[in-house]
Amino acid sequence: MNHNPQSGDGKHDDDTALSDFLASLMEYTPTIPDELVEHYLAKSGVQCPDVRLIRLVAVATQKFVAEVASDALQHCKARQASVIKDKRDKQQKDKRLILTMEDLSKSLREYGVNVKHQEYFADSPSTGIDPASRDE
Amino acid sequence: MNDGGLENRKEHGKSQKQSKSSKFNSKSDDFALAIAKVAVAQVCESVGFQSFQHSALQTLSDIIVRYIYSIGKTANINANLAGRVEANVFDVLQRLEELGSGLGFAGASDADRCVVNSGIVRDIVHFVGEADDFQFAYDVPQFPVVKEWKETGSFWEKGEEPPGKHIPNWLPVFPDPETYAARTSEGNETMSVLNGEKSELASFETKLEWSLLNLQQRFACNGNEGGSSHDGGDAVRAREAAESNPYLAAPLHFGEKEVEVSPVVLPVKLSNEVALKNIVSENCIVGNHVSVLETFAPAIEAMKSGFCDSENRQKKVLHNQRPMVHFKIETGKKSLGSATNV
Repeated sequence: MNHNPQSGDGKHDDDTALSDFLASLMEYTPTIPDELVEHYLAKSGVQCPDVRLIRLVAVATQKFVAEVASDALQHCKARQASVIKDKRDKQQKDKRLILTMEDLSKSLREYGVNVKHQEYFADSPSTGIDPASRDE
Repeated sequence: MNDGGLENRKEHGKSQKQSKSSKFNSKSDDFALAIAKVAVAQVCESVGFQSFQHSALQTLSDIIVRYIYSIGKTANINANLAGRVEANVFDVLQRLEELGSGLGFAGASDADRCVVNSGIVRDIVHFVGEADDFQFAYDVPQFPVVKEWKETGSFWEKGEEPPGKHIPNWLPVFPDPETYAARTSEGNETMSVLNGEKSELASFETKLEWSLLNLQQRFACNGNEGGSSHDGGDAVRAREAAESNPYLAAPLHFGEKEVEVSPVVLPVKLSNEVALKNIVSENCIVGNHVSVLETFAPAIEAMKSGFCDSENRQKKVLHNQRPMVHFKIETGKKSLGSATNV
């Protein structure tokens, strides 16, 4: 990126880059619905009639969630891989990728969110396993 | 995604209870939080998760709500700092850079850069370019629903005269007299129920009566309107209300034959009720109509206390009325009792 904010050309480039960026946001449909973002933005005091701004926040939020989730996924995979081999055969059945509090708090810590996993608040160990397979 | 079955439901409820005190978990926000949960679950699924713990999903959705909230709050602060009311894209990007500063992003050290060229924006562009579109699973309605405020309008706006001179015309108009008239009829109905009239037949009868009475009131009101057109619509309405509700009748002036008038006004109503009951059994609507007009005439006249010509007639009517009132009250009680017996 070699731009010169002093020159008029550079400014013009920045303008077009900005509008292109915002226009590209409109083409993308984020999973996080606009209404949700709008609601919380309004709650926080922002008045923005601009849909592109809402889209920007929605996309940024989705990017954040996706990053946290993929980090947690890596933690999850690493934990499952570290299980000793002979045990692994036993647990082959429930080798599903489950978003657990443990992995989530690890990945969130990297993003500056300290989630203290409540020790007394135990999710059932069979969480995320199919009810059918649980019976076996 | 599979949510792991029923066992978590209980814990889910418990955790909701535990976090009730949170600002984002107030009861009015349940809908938004539920949407956030679905959205987070969808994103997690797209990343590659197959399942989740409820506590983890709840934590993550709570965090994204706070994320959005903090973006909005700081963007608003940035805008206000720059002397603007509405936040724009630069305020939001500024906040996103602040939020990303924990991890760091490309070009953060360059103080003289354009916002568009910062690493945050490039990351977002990259993300938009490579991530697949995952439409949200449901159609989300616009929320929260804000009811449109319907103004009643003042007397002046509606072009009506306030019913009293002490009421300035910039005040909102009174509600339709039918509304409080209906309430009084309901009250009377419940009173009659309290009196012991609980059989279905009787209640049906009273309902019929009251609907009829309302009809009659309307007839009577229309009839009077022709006679006293100079009163205007409001006065007619007020009188109509007064007909059905003795408490809304115009107050008597001090020393104005209250001994004679006040005992009559209430019995007229009762007698009317009883007369109606008798007439309803005969299904004679025209006769009923006349009787209502007749029975209400003294009450109406009594309310128009200012008119001197009504005095003689009033007396006459009252004299005519009085024995009938006594008679009707007695039969009324009997008929009520008989109705419950039957």
